[in-house]
Amino acid sequence: MEPDKKNIHDLVVVGAGPAALSAAIYTCREDIDTLLIEKGAIGGLAAVTDWVDNYPGFAKGIAGLNLSEEMRKQAERFGAKFELDEVLKISIEDGLHRLKMHGGDVYAKAVLIATGSDYRKIGVPGETEFYARGVHYCATCDGAFYRDKKLVVVGGGNSAVQEAMFLTKFASHIDMLVRGPSFRASEVLQHELNNHKDKITVHFNTTTDEIVGAEGKVTKVIGTDKTTNQKKEFITDGVFVFVGLDPNSGFLVGSGVELDEFRFIKSDIRLMTNVPGIFVAGDVRSGATMQIASASGEGATSALMIREYLNEMNREGTSSVKIEQ
Amino acid sequence: MAKNITIYTTNTCSYCVMVKRWLGSKGISYEEVNLEQYPDRQAEALSMSGALTVPITVVTKNDDSKEVIVGYNLARLAPAIA
Repeated sequence: MEPDKKNIHDLVVVGAGPAALSAAIYTCREDIDTLLIEKGAIGGLAAVTDWVDNYPGFAKGIAGLNLSEEMRKQAERFGAKFELDEVLKISIEDGLHRLKMHGGDVYAKAVLIATGSDYRKIGVPGETEFYARGVHYCATCDGAFYRDKKLVVVGGGNSAVQEAMFLTKFASHIDMLVRGPSFRASEVLQHELNNHKDKITVHFNTTTDEIVGAEGKVTKVIGTDKTTNQKKEFITDGVFVFVGLDPNSGFLVGSGVELDEFRFIKSDIRLMTNVPGIFVAGDVRSGATMQIASASGEGATSALMIREYLNEMNREGTSSVKIEQ
Repeated sequence: MAKNITIYTTNTCSYCVMVKRWLGSKGISYEEVNLEQYPDRQAEALSMSGALTVPITVVTKNDDSKEVIVGYNLARLAPAIA
């Protein structure tokens, strides 16, 4: 069956976080017909980040939600179109990329995958059972339910430290369980954490083994002190988990797009995957630095590469081309 | 068609702002229950959604049936208010 011409776009961007929005600002500004498809929130994880201090151009910092809103408005100013749906599968049909969604199919000459990543689960007993009823992954969303209560924060990276400090606005005390012997968070954040010593107790070399509850509520976390191999119990009302990010790449199974061992998408130096015409930018890309500024930069880079790819397609009169490196 | 809409929120929840802005952009009015301001209504939100999280949007339809949407989920919210 011939693709419906109304559903053919020069570029379809899967995702609507900083990488996707930056790419759309560039492509729409150059009159490249661009459709963004987002299944969750425009702005991605950046939109639920309480405060962004290291994005250039904002001397005093900016709320993640406001930064995302400004990016969306800028993309819309140049004509970016958004569709709220989920891409289920990508395949090639008649030389075009076919994106299957709940609401029907769209076709694209080029595709940019900018689906980002999502908070990683720890995979211990009790985590699923108490999900959103004592186990949480978004401090700005759910922290307020723990006013004057005890919390456990799991993780030792930037997100864990930043969100633990945010949670001190509400919680009476926080136990931070860090698997390693030290933080992976930046020195700046570790220094800031020192200002919250009255409310946060850090437990290094401590694994999180089980989340225990009764009558539908979390009551404690059981961990192990790796230096002594002794079990430890942390009495708590809730658990916030920040142990890293997993790529949103599940929909690419069977697409031919090559993933690395952790399911991040591999790309060449022009941010094109092994499938001609499918590009990748932002947190979902293998080797990404998981920073909003980096994602925006990659979005801009991918847009320029996509423009080159589409120009080459038009010159060649072919449906897909391989850009020479 | 929705008879009325209630959104349970907290002060710092970005997804709550997104839901409110989206409804506002459609010219749809709603009642907001800020669970920090009214902590005594947290149990009501929990019993309705089964989740201690926000936003929780409760759409009451013309036949008085209710649809409860947890999170910023426009794929569910859009048909619920149609």
